Amino acid sequence: MCNCDNTYIPIPMKVEKIVIDNPDRSLRTYDLSFVNEEDENKFKYMPGQFCEFSILGKGESPFGIASSPTEEGLKFTVSRTGSVTNEIHYLEEGDIVGIRGPMGNWYPLEKLKGQDVVIVGGGFAFTTLRSMIVYMLENRDDYGKITVIYGARHPDLFIYKEELKIWDKRDDIILHLTVDKPVKGWDKLCGFVPAITKDVKPDPTSWCIVCGPPIMIKFTLPVLLEIGFAHDKIYTSLERRMKCGIGKCGRCGIGSKYVCIDGPVFSYEELKKIPDAF
Amino acid sequence: MVKIKKTELNEFIEFLMKDYDVYSPADVGKKAAFKKIKSAFEIKHAITNTHLSPKDVFFPQSEVLFQYSDDGLKVPKREEKAIAVWGMRNCDTSSLLMLNKVFGDAHQMPDKDMYKDPYWKMKYDNCLIFNQACNEPLSTCFCNWFEGNPFAKKGADIFVVDTGDHFILEGISDKGKTFLSKYKAGEETTKVDLNKIAKLKETAESYLPDVVDIKPLFNKMNKIWDEPIWEEISAKCINCGACTFVCPTCHCFDVSDEGKGKKGQRIRLWDSCMFQIFTREASGHNPRGLSTQRVRQRIMHKYNYFMDNYEQYLCTGCGRCVQVCPVNLDIREVIKKVLDYKLSKNEEI
Repeated sequence: MCNCDNTYIPIPMKVEKIVIDNPDRSLRTYDLSFVNEEDENKFKYMPGQFCEFSILGKGESPFGIASSPTEEGLKFTVSRTGSVTNEIHYLEEGDIVGIRGPMGNWYPLEKLKGQDVVIVGGGFAFTTLRSMIVYMLENRDDYGKITVIYGARHPDLFIYKEELKIWDKRDDIILHLTVDKPVKGWDKLCGFVPAITKDVKPDPTSWCIVCGPPIMIKFTLPVLLEIGFAHDKIYTSLERRMKCGIGKCGRCGIGSKYVCIDGPVFSYEELKKIPDAF
Repeated sequence: MVKIKKTELNEFIEFLMKDYDVYSPADVGKKAAFKKIKSAFEIKHAITNTHLSPKDVFFPQSEVLFQYSDDGLKVPKREEKAIAVWGMRNCDTSSLLMLNKVFGDAHQMPDKDMYKDPYWKMKYDNCLIFNQACNEPLSTCFCNWFEGNPFAKKGADIFVVDTGDHFILEGISDKGKTFLSKYKAGEETTKVDLNKIAKLKETAESYLPDVVDIKPLFNKMNKIWDEPIWEEISAKCINCGACTFVCPTCHCFDVSDEGKGKKGQRIRLWDSCMFQIFTREASGHNPRGLSTQRVRQRIMHKYNYFMDNYEQYLCTGCGRCVQVCPVNLDIREVIKKVLDYKLSKNEEI
């Protein structure tokens, strides 16, 4: 099995570790390792890219890569929603799954060098943002101030809770965690992401990466524009139903762009020219 | 040029079959479609446009991507000979050039092999196209809107004209010329034949509709995305998807697994942007949940998005969608309607 000349063939990966992220068990995080060294050497990716995660006999679905290229293997967080994700939730440690990728473009990490970066995330769309944060922390000297605004409906619904605790204690990354409504025992922020972004009022000369549910993106962008962020310094990652992942099957088209090959990462400058993108 | 008596066509087809799997218009049930033939007697000559387009030869309605079992994954190899297609009209020949931009060249990502489709390439790359002149275009034909012509040779390896008792074959591409040079039988082509061909071309062209200048279509489409015209155009569409299945350039597909336990296969199947489920995500969110949005997607893809990416329209004017639409949604009328549309926002075009 090798994807050398056929993009449709998944490479085998082994489930090393499964973490159940929340009490209702709807979110699980999978650490995968490459079965073949050859595949591992060839698999070069950057934060923001995605893969097709395949369960033979059930199908495949696209997920953002949650691990950073500075880490071993690949990490995916999967919400139990449809038939493929259901099947992924039945996986056990040691099982073999199929992966196709890496696909799509990535966050503009080259352009961000030497710049202050604001990351705005919501819910379990935090996956590729985690990838990016880990990557920047590994290469900490390359980047300026890092500010993170991360919201979830309820404290239980944050993902990577252990890492969030560690980042919260570091002094080289500023973390603003918020939940929709007050919850007993929650001593951090309260309110929707757009409102919190307005309160935090990040420096508009920095670059901003926004990733979350469409409704969050829709209401956060005007706030960022109001604060004064440049249109070409705001980036977001889009999601669409996908099959091929290589710009052929027609599902993820938005205007003349395909989310799978022209995205998933787009700047606001690009997005405002595409009707109905989010 | 090679001149073959119709009664001796089978000899030529047999010669062709030594090196190629030959596909041609043939009866498939009560309809005509391209299928693999065993002899020239299966060829359906009288048909101008087959009901189904020949895209099926290179991009089948269903195709196994790989089989899986305990032994791992197995990709089906093409053991057969290269493909030759007899009797293709230029609207269809042109459509293959468009599809090859998507599947073969991966024009948007030219440097990356991962964007080239191996299943398309293993069939298309060595094929031999016999492009046959269209002596009697149908009332639904409008290839001339897209710089097409019933006697166009673009994309052909060998150009064929049916002159009544004979077929006159002309090598166009190097591949086509080389192949024809190997065929030693046939008669000499005379001046009479050439005159006959010129006359046939003239007659064929007289069947075509008046040319509509579609160059402004792209720019016009850029401005009407939010306009009420889409409600008007899509009002009678029932989203049956027939247009997308008969279209020689529509290429949306689904990927799906079949099998039980550890044994099965992953296949791809034609799909249609007309279907509500096409873009519906597992969460229930659907970016193209409304019929109007889907009709707009199809029309915009053909006359705007594809132009943006590949510098041409994704339509050859074959007219199949006009023939099959159960509610008579005529794409020629849609094009005219868009061209004539007065913007409600008084924007300058």
